Amino acid sequence: MGRPYGLLRAGFPFFKTVGMRRHTNFPVDVALGKENRLYILCRSGDASMIRKYTLDEDNLGDIGGVATWGVAIIADSEENLYVSDEAKHCIKAIDTDGETLNTWGEYGDGDGQLNAPAGIAFDSEENIYVADSMNHRVQKFTKDGEFISTWGSYGDGDGEFNMPWGITVDELGDVYVVDWRNDRVQKFNSEGEFIFAFGRSGCEEGEFNRPTDVAVDEHGDIYVADCGNNRVQLFNSESRYVEKFLGDATLSETAIDYMMTNASPNRLRDMANLEPQKLLRRPTSVTINGDGLLFIADNCSYRVQVYKKRAIPLTEQEFGPPRRSPTLHQE
Amino acid sequence: MSKSDVALIAHLMRRAGFGATLTELDEYVKKGYENVVEDLVDIERCPPIDEDLLDRYFGGSEGGYRATWMYRMINSPRPLEEKMALFWHHVFATGIGKNQHILASALQIDMFRRVGLSNMREILLELSKDPAMIFWLDNNENRKGEPNENYGRELLELFSMGVGNYSEDDIKDCSRAFTGWTFAQPPPLYPQGYYPAHFVFIEEEHDDGEKTFLGQTGNLNGDDIIDIIVQQPACAGFISRHLYNFFVADEPQVPSWNVTPPQDPDAIETLSNAFLESDGNMRHVLKTLLNSDFFKAARFKKVKSPTELVTGIVKLVGTYQKPEPGMAKYPGATALMGQELLNPPTVEGWHTGKEWIDGGTLTERINFSVGELSDPSKPGIEQIISRLKADGSPLSPNEFVDKCLELAGPLEVGETTRESLVQFAASQGDLNIESDDAAEENNARVVRMLQLIVASREYQFA
Repeated sequence: MGRPYGLLRAGFPFFKTVGMRRHTNFPVDVALGKENRLYILCRSGDASMIRKYTLDEDNLGDIGGVATWGVAIIADSEENLYVSDEAKHCIKAIDTDGETLNTWGEYGDGDGQLNAPAGIAFDSEENIYVADSMNHRVQKFTKDGEFISTWGSYGDGDGEFNMPWGITVDELGDVYVVDWRNDRVQKFNSEGEFIFAFGRSGCEEGEFNRPTDVAVDEHGDIYVADCGNNRVQLFNSESRYVEKFLGDATLSETAIDYMMTNASPNRLRDMANLEPQKLLRRPTSVTINGDGLLFIADNCSYRVQVYKKRAIPLTEQEFGPPRRSPTLHQE
Repeated sequence: MSKSDVALIAHLMRRAGFGATLTELDEYVKKGYENVVEDLVDIERCPPIDEDLLDRYFGGSEGGYRATWMYRMINSPRPLEEKMALFWHHVFATGIGKNQHILASALQIDMFRRVGLSNMREILLELSKDPAMIFWLDNNENRKGEPNENYGRELLELFSMGVGNYSEDDIKDCSRAFTGWTFAQPPPLYPQGYYPAHFVFIEEEHDDGEKTFLGQTGNLNGDDIIDIIVQQPACAGFISRHLYNFFVADEPQVPSWNVTPPQDPDAIETLSNAFLESDGNMRHVLKTLLNSDFFKAARFKKVKSPTELVTGIVKLVGTYQKPEPGMAKYPGATALMGQELLNPPTVEGWHTGKEWIDGGTLTERINFSVGELSDPSKPGIEQIISRLKADGSPLSPNEFVDKCLELAGPLEVGETTRESLVQFAASQGDLNIESDDAAEENNARVVRMLQLIVASREYQFA
């Protein structure tokens, strides 16, 4: 299915909250499995674990010790999980029971070597792109860790990076890289040829403060975890700013169960201003599925905030012709 | 550069910072003592630490605050900023054991970092509005008609003037002036983690009646009380003695200050005058202190706090110059040595000087130091080996010991210690450090010598 000619953006309401303190401590990324299974990578201090949930918050257990400094998690078509570890400079593959399938990568700056790997993403052939952060480049591997190609170097020009973090690949095979220290996102084709970049330092619309992750949905919409500004920004496929998500969290079902058996925090919540509790705090990742569910790892609030997109594809006849200039004329 | 220049700058950096690597020492010596003092005190002359990097690698982990703070101590281009945060943490001791709110405690340290080099009025005002302090000393329960005098008492006794400089009536009216100074209830820890608490003034809970404090009468509030305090010579003297104890030489413990005179009254007077002539400007007082003869002459006159010992050792071995896993072991180490950051034992703070040392803590200090110096591939040890090589070989036992003492400090040791070190060195003969054939063995000899040095009695002193 190709991308629609246009979109009627009907809304993007908050959908639900998943997790709470002790269950999902400091989530940094979310991988999506089949049947709405979620794999939430949590990193606290020098240890990382995966909390397994369903979207309905059925607790499927956890996998401990998956990384020292885990940054990103992705699932392949067989629902095996891949985790990047920026402390050990490797990518680890495990099954959903936590059995290690493979670990690859070694410290260095040669082809195939890694220095603080951060974001990871599959393309349609399940090759893995790695944001090789401290080497300021992108590397492409087979999912078994065989080196394929690399591009990028330190700098702030087109195709250069300063400690890239998040990475994703859209359905067309184009690669989006969050250029963390340059406060921008760069788009490349699968060969690493530069297509465009957007963003600059700041807190206005379309500006970033140390962005951490990027996701692209089937409509080509681009989501950026604008971590330092405590928000997620949405751009269309041409990088035009559309809207932002500041957080609208409710209590998760897990949290409600907890609160129903603990009187004191109920009283304290009643005394407190609850406004800050719905807001994102240090959102580190964005992940979107084919149903339009947007998962935001709300790192410092120990939870995942989920939004649901409602957008209706428009044909050329339904969308009207493109306009070069704004107009006040109402038709 | 002369050896005495290096020794003096190393002394400055142990006290006004947390030590210095050999490379840093070279740069400081080139700059000259007075310029380094200017850089230390006027912090804007140096760039701040890379906050983005701290957030990227240590952010999002409530348990990591202590480790992040120690990383700052080791790596901040503004070491005095961190040292003053630690100083005020000693003076305004607030324990997390009571509030159980790591974020509030962390924000208090951030506040000390922010205002620690400003003036005494601003510092006391920020302190009085700090939620961790308010909760620690119960000012959240200090209300009109039902005063809680805990904060008012300690503000005078431990935070600004010391016993003997105010009356019980002063305490009562001081406390009344701070009624209604509290914080808004933050959301609870569960289910979404810590949220910051914010100061609020509740007018209905404030006693706006007439009060008399240190001879001044009026409708005094907390701001007025602080204005009066900072004008008192007793405040200047009290803070000066704290500064002397922290930066210059060990004094007896604070509770005895009203009966035990300072060991160097002239130094306290110099600092007090600097305080009074600048309206309590900490930068002016610290420049006076760091440029003074009594400071320069005070080498190895104070026992290193556990935090100073640990950060100094990490600087010596040259590790953690960028974020890496494992920082959490360092606050753990200081805790075992008797200083758990963010958790001083009482409102009096830690007892310092020789009270840092007992059989258990000394063992911890030595085991930690020796352990950290066990690996010759650590950058700081590699650099020491490299400098030993640059001096040519063979090194006689005397030369070997003297060079290691110089590169590990420079450290001044007593004759007994030096003889023991030379005896140990002599047991293995001259050191032919340039010999590639015996590189491993030679490196091991250097490591053992450095381990003996950091295990010495003298190394416990700053």
